[in-house]
Amino acid sequence: MATSEASTTYKKIQVRRYKPEENPEKNYLNEEKGLWAWLTTVDHKKIGLMYLASIAFFFLVGGILALILRTELWTPARSFLDADLYNQVFTLHGAIMVFFFLVPSVPTVLGNFVLPLQLGAKDVAFPRLNLASFYIYLIGALFTLTAILTGGVDTGWTFYTPYSATTGGNVIMMTLGVFILGFSSILTGVNFIVTIHKLRSPGMTWAKLPLNLWALYATSIIQILATPVLAITLLLLTMERALGIGIFDPALGGDPVLYQHFFWFYSHPAVYIMIVPGFGIISEVVSTFSKKIIFGYWAIALSSLAIAFIGFLVWGHHMFTAGQSSLANLVFSFLTFMVGIPTGIKIFNWVATMYKGSIDMKTPMVYVMIFLFLFMIGGFTGIMVGALSVDIHLHDTYYVVAHFHYVMVGGMVMAFLGGIHYWWPKMFGKMYSELWAKIAAGILFIGFNMTFLPQFIMGSQGMPRRYFNYLEQFQPFHQTSTVGAYLMGTGFLIVAIYLTYSLFKGKKAGPNPWGSRALEWQTASPPPLHNFEHIPVIINGPYDYHKPMSEFQLGVASKHNGHHAEETVDVPESAQEKA
Amino acid sequence: MSSTSATEEKRLDHVQHHFVDSEQQFESAKMGMWVFIVTEILMFGGLFVAYIVYRSWYPELYLEASTQLNAFWGMVNTFVLIGSSLTVAMAIRSAQLNQIKGLIYNLYITIGLAFTFMVIKYFEYSEKLGKGIAPGEYYTYDGLEHEKANIFFSIYYMMTGLHGVHVTIGIGLMIWLVVKAKKNVFHSEYYTPVEITGLYWHLVDIIWIFLFPLLYLID
Amino acid sequence: MSGHHISSAKFLWGIGIALFFLTFVTVAVTWIQIPEPWNIVVAIGIAVVKALLVVLFFMNLYWDSKFNSLLFIFSLIFFGLMIGITLLDTLFRNDPTPLF
Ligand code: HEM
Ligand SMILES: [Cu+2]
Repeated sequence: MATSEASTTYKKIQVRRYKPEENPEKNYLNEEKGLWAWLTTVDHKKIGLMYLASIAFFFLVGGILALILRTELWTPARSFLDADLYNQVFTLHGAIMVFFFLVPSVPTVLGNFVLPLQLGAKDVAFPRLNLASFYIYLIGALFTLTAILTGGVDTGWTFYTPYSATTGGNVIMMTLGVFILGFSSILTGVNFIVTIHKLRSPGMTWAKLPLNLWALYATSIIQILATPVLAITLLLLTMERALGIGIFDPALGGDPVLYQHFFWFYSHPAVYIMIVPGFGIISEVVSTFSKKIIFGYWAIALSSLAIAFIGFLVWGHHMFTAGQSSLANLVFSFLTFMVGIPTGIKIFNWVATMYKGSIDMKTPMVYVMIFLFLFMIGGFTGIMVGALSVDIHLHDTYYVVAHFHYVMVGGMVMAFLGGIHYWWPKMFGKMYSELWAKIAAGILFIGFNMTFLPQFIMGSQGMPRRYFNYLEQFQPFHQTSTVGAYLMGTGFLIVAIYLTYSLFKGKKAGPNPWGSRALEWQTASPPPLHNFEHIPVIINGPYDYHKPMSEFQLGVASKHNGHHAEETVDVPESAQEKA
Repeated sequence: MSSTSATEEKRLDHVQHHFVDSEQQFESAKMGMWVFIVTEILMFGGLFVAYIVYRSWYPELYLEASTQLNAFWGMVNTFVLIGSSLTVAMAIRSAQLNQIKGLIYNLYITIGLAFTFMVIKYFEYSEKLGKGIAPGEYYTYDGLEHEKANIFFSIYYMMTGLHGVHVTIGIGLMIWLVVKAKKNVFHSEYYTPVEITGLYWHLVDIIWIFLFPLLYLID
Repeated sequence: MSGHHISSAKFLWGIGIALFFLTFVTVAVTWIQIPEPWNIVVAIGIAVVKALLVVLFFMNLYWDSKFNSLLFIFSLIFFGLMIGITLLDTLFRNDPTPLF
């Protein structure tokens, strides 16, 4: 800290060193028992785990749908799905993966679990609201499942009008499901923003906030600004179907391009709702496994906010061929290039963090490498399709499909897996098999590239997306892609198996298996019900690997001290040495 | 903070375990509400965008169609809602001063005004629907020349309808507050739900402040 | 601590009356038929003043933490972006490609 601050008077508090207990008897998993206690819990950690279960379920459903699609595409002609069913399957695959898996994935699972731990708080600011948002998610999911069973939806996950206003099936049920889900997302965002502002433990200044929390903060901001627009869009669409209000339906005098503006005002920022939390995970993992202070802390922190902001200005790049004005095309194309800048800043800083670090290639770090490689390809091809003239050719081809799978699966799902592997020991106090984890990561990497690399080539040669049949010339690409998809499926299966196995037979993890300096590792694994046995006091940053561990295990010695958001803390030199 | 230990206890029983004190809890709740207000503004914002885009395309449509809306009753409803905002502000003041009776009375008046608003809205709607001025597809009225008159009324129904839903939710919240106030839950150190609901209610008022001139007063 | 602002009843009534008065004014100006763009400007202007009164003195933003004001301002900025950028399309749909 700057010396000028030394003259200001701080409130003095007594601190002690608390070494986290190795094998605590009581933890959040066994303190309250029974199904009912789980279903009504307001503990952020348990809610995170319940989300994990639900999200894993939807990932499974979405994944099976994907395999069905890929299987159909084995031959150029019809294999076993007719066109209508194919349309329904890709719609459900997209909608489930985006709305029920990817958007909630990191914030609700890892965010819920880790955020209060990283802040040194006992819980999020509104624990009951947190539980409510979980149930809202479930209700939304129920609506969606009902839609699938009562007629299905074949509009694509984008629900473009006028098709979505006139086609058969149960579109209303689906849009209502997503509408409801949106509120779950909004409430999570509200909760996180307030928690980060108000529940930081003493000494947790903005400059010491883990980058994961900066990322979640930026994500929450996007969530609260964009999701309500999705809500109103879907409400209008529902009314379009129910009452024929006609605002988006040219047959009634409306304008379908306006629908696309509404939809993408949410959905482009939403791609950053999906990826920015991944950035947060990468920052944590890179620093931990390079055993080095993060390079460019503020650059990474602020670029998250920059992405959140610029992400709102580029939505029209999805509409280059939709008939919007040439002026808008031009402006959107230009602005789209700007998104690449903060993203690039992050990548450079991560790489600089690794430079001359002592890199430990544990599984989470392996996923970081995979992320960097795949996300770079996804990002660069994003810039390609962001170029107006190029996109006229590539729009609605497999090139776009490959682009967004590289960012969403190659980027986000890999980051999510990295995060799961990173915090798994904290969540359950158990270690998984390092060998199997690496094998699975390898299979996923190979499978992923087999699946989606050929799609870039096909797309640039003109293979359109969303068709169940295709020209013979594309068959080799499609078949490679299908094989890759099954390989990936195998990879995910292996992950599920060894993670589940570790719950029962895994080695005990200990509080800090990675030797991390971050706060969540300074408590037992699994953590006690209220996270810390003491109120933690923070004097060092979460990435200060050049300082001894003992400096990171300080806590308020007396009760009801500090914990105010604004309160600054000064720790007398002698107090630090106390054991 | 001079009080006996008995009231001291009462003063703290609302503080949840993860907050250090009442103040932190109050400020958190209020910030949470403001964040939520942001989402509300953007949600209505979508409808305002639709309104503005169509108005920029068809200014004459708006001139013509708004003659069907009764500016007098719109004005009355504006007075009603502003009045209710005032009473909510008074309710919060009562709570801050520990005047639980005043709190309850002010809430009653607010609920009454909110009902008045909805009743007037009901008569406006039924008068229009009776004439065949229904949203979009079901629009059958032939007193208007403009071919997109149905779109104007779709926007009208969506905006006022969503606003009406908010008013209804507000009534529900206010009744809940009365119930709680009667159970003596609130006092000068704890009136967070009153404050939060108040913020919500003022927002509903603000939205109407814009809807009124934009829909009723075009000419 | 305890920075809760308590407005006097007189003050609240004052704001209320100002709001009633402005409502009356918006209606009254429609009787004098201001020409095209200005009638909208006046109507929106008055609505903005009314909204500001409510936000600052009923919702107490005037005395509240700055961050809450920031939130409110941000919501307006993003609403502005949404409408502004959308108009870039809808107002210029029929124009040919701009030449530079
Ligand atoms: C450097 C950053 C990025 C740029 C410049 C970019 C650019 C684009 C462009 C221009 C398109 C439209 C292509 C077309 O339809 O013709 C597109 C589509 C898409 N992008 Fe990106 N993108 C970026 C990052 C991301 C990220 C991070 C995600 C998700 C995590 C993502 C997800 C998507 C999706 C889902 C679509 C397709 C939507 C659809 O039509 O169904 N993008 N991207
Ligand atoms: Cu985009």
